[in-house]
Amino acid sequence: MRGGWALPLWFWLFVAYLFLPLVVMALMGFRDSNFVAFPIQTWTSRWYTGVLADGDMLAAIWLSARVALWSTLLSLAVGLPTGLLVARTCGALRALLIASVVLPAFLPVIVSSVALRMYLGVIGLEPGVAAISFGHAVGSVPFVVIMVLTRIEAMGPNLADAARNLGADDLIVFARITLPFLAPALIGAFLFCILLSFEDFARSFFLGGFEPTFPVLLFARLRFGFDPGLAAVSTLVLVVSVAVGLVAERYVRAKGLRP
Amino acid sequence: MRALVAARRWRPWRAAVDAASAQPALRLAVLAAIPVLWIVGANLAPLAQMAAISLMERYPVPPGEPVAWTLSHYAAFWERPLYLNAYIRTFIFATAVTLITLLVMFPVAWYVAKVAPREARLRLLLILVAPFWVSEIVRSIAWMLVLANRGALNLALSGVGVIDDPLPMLYTHGSLAVGVLYLTSLYMLLPLYAAFEKIDDGLLQASANLGAGPLTRLKRIILPLARDGIVGGCTLVFLMAIGLYAMPQLLGGPDTTLFAVTIGQVFSRGGDAWPLGSALSILLILGALGWVGAFALLWKSPRRSG
Repeated sequence: MRGGWALPLWFWLFVAYLFLPLVVMALMGFRDSNFVAFPIQTWTSRWYTGVLADGDMLAAIWLSARVALWSTLLSLAVGLPTGLLVARTCGALRALLIASVVLPAFLPVIVSSVALRMYLGVIGLEPGVAAISFGHAVGSVPFVVIMVLTRIEAMGPNLADAARNLGADDLIVFARITLPFLAPALIGAFLFCILLSFEDFARSFFLGGFEPTFPVLLFARLRFGFDPGLAAVSTLVLVVSVAVGLVAERYVRAKGLRP
Repeated sequence: MRALVAARRWRPWRAAVDAASAQPALRLAVLAAIPVLWIVGANLAPLAQMAAISLMERYPVPPGEPVAWTLSHYAAFWERPLYLNAYIRTFIFATAVTLITLLVMFPVAWYVAKVAPREARLRLLLILVAPFWVSEIVRSIAWMLVLANRGALNLALSGVGVIDDPLPMLYTHGSLAVGVLYLTSLYMLLPLYAAFEKIDDGLLQASANLGAGPLTRLKRIILPLARDGIVGGCTLVFLMAIGLYAMPQLLGGPDTTLFAVTIGQVFSRGGDAWPLGSALSILLILGALGWVGAFALLWKSPRRSG
């Protein structure tokens, strides 16, 4: 049980494996040269400040942000009623519902991307912002449903029953009991979906029009020529993403989800 | 919220609510409309359409012509070594990645779930989860900088005098596996952690007291009890690994082309390649289903303690 020194050593080695590359990337953003290579002899902050002057990069980040917002709103609008519906079913119907809801999370992402690309014509979308948002929502809804479902199961039927006994109708129960109880899960799911959408590459690549999202632009620039500016902008986005992710974690775990 | 409470006294609203509660079927229909529409329209229809396109001679079907059905795109897969090789390589690679991820993450998850002090567990988990809020591309960039010929690792190795000339580490199966482990480890960690957490410490203690060594405990207690977590984690990681599209293009080389990249290349050829690309995608799904199903069946009987 007590494992001695080997287990902690393995754990911290793994943590080093996770974080050292990110540190290397942050450092490379300070290299005063047009090429990426080590060692770094002269240092500069021009790559980090230069991000603000890079119009294409800012446009891509802005596009990613808009896509993230739209896809997240769509995911919540679908995921919340789906979670409520699944919570009311049981037995084989429930298993079937859950399986068909989480299906996109288990499909290889390349298959999901190209299937949606061919499907766009059927629902009358052109490749572009709306198409990417739809594609990201397809990928995010399973996670929203799971989060909503977990939270509802933690609530149990007592609160809603008590409110009904006191004369509340369904809408009041939903607005005054269920929704406030679900709030932490919904906020967590909101931030989670934003991140999922912001970091997605394959769906954006196949569903996008001429304007690239942030990961797609990064990918294209990597093939052209790799300068320290890419490391700098990646580091900045990383810092923001990790911060948002940690906040999301807190909400998902908030209040009584885990004793 | 107050407006809502007032609104319920509004007579038309009252009537609507009464009508709805008198008709449970109607209520269910309203509640179920969005989910059912989404499941059919967004989850199932694209797959069904893809399966159909894979059987068509051409897509889009030229106007005025009947749809010509064919199996020729599936036949093309068997006839072209290019596709078959990438397919086989992908399954071998994904299996290897799954095993490596399991071996690396098993001790990590065990340490967090069972060995680390209870009050530190949440913090340790957060440390492990934090880097996962970063895109596949950014993480590929980080590894390119570490593994390149003039990257951080070669600098460090030559700095301590282990090597004279830089080792070519990037664009190989090894660099790809190192990068992919970076993507997959979380999907193994969480199921393993959840499974380990449920194992009763008393069982481990009792078996140790009765003379079971570490290996016996692993084989007779931990593995059977953590079976669901292990199978779940391996399934997630495997499905993720066979679908990788961006990272193989950045960290892999010409001899590491994975099937997902092959599918992507077929699709970037344009509209008339859609049936072939669809057939390849369907084959990837079928292969993955078979592989995952076989894995779950192989390890079906959890040892009941006799």
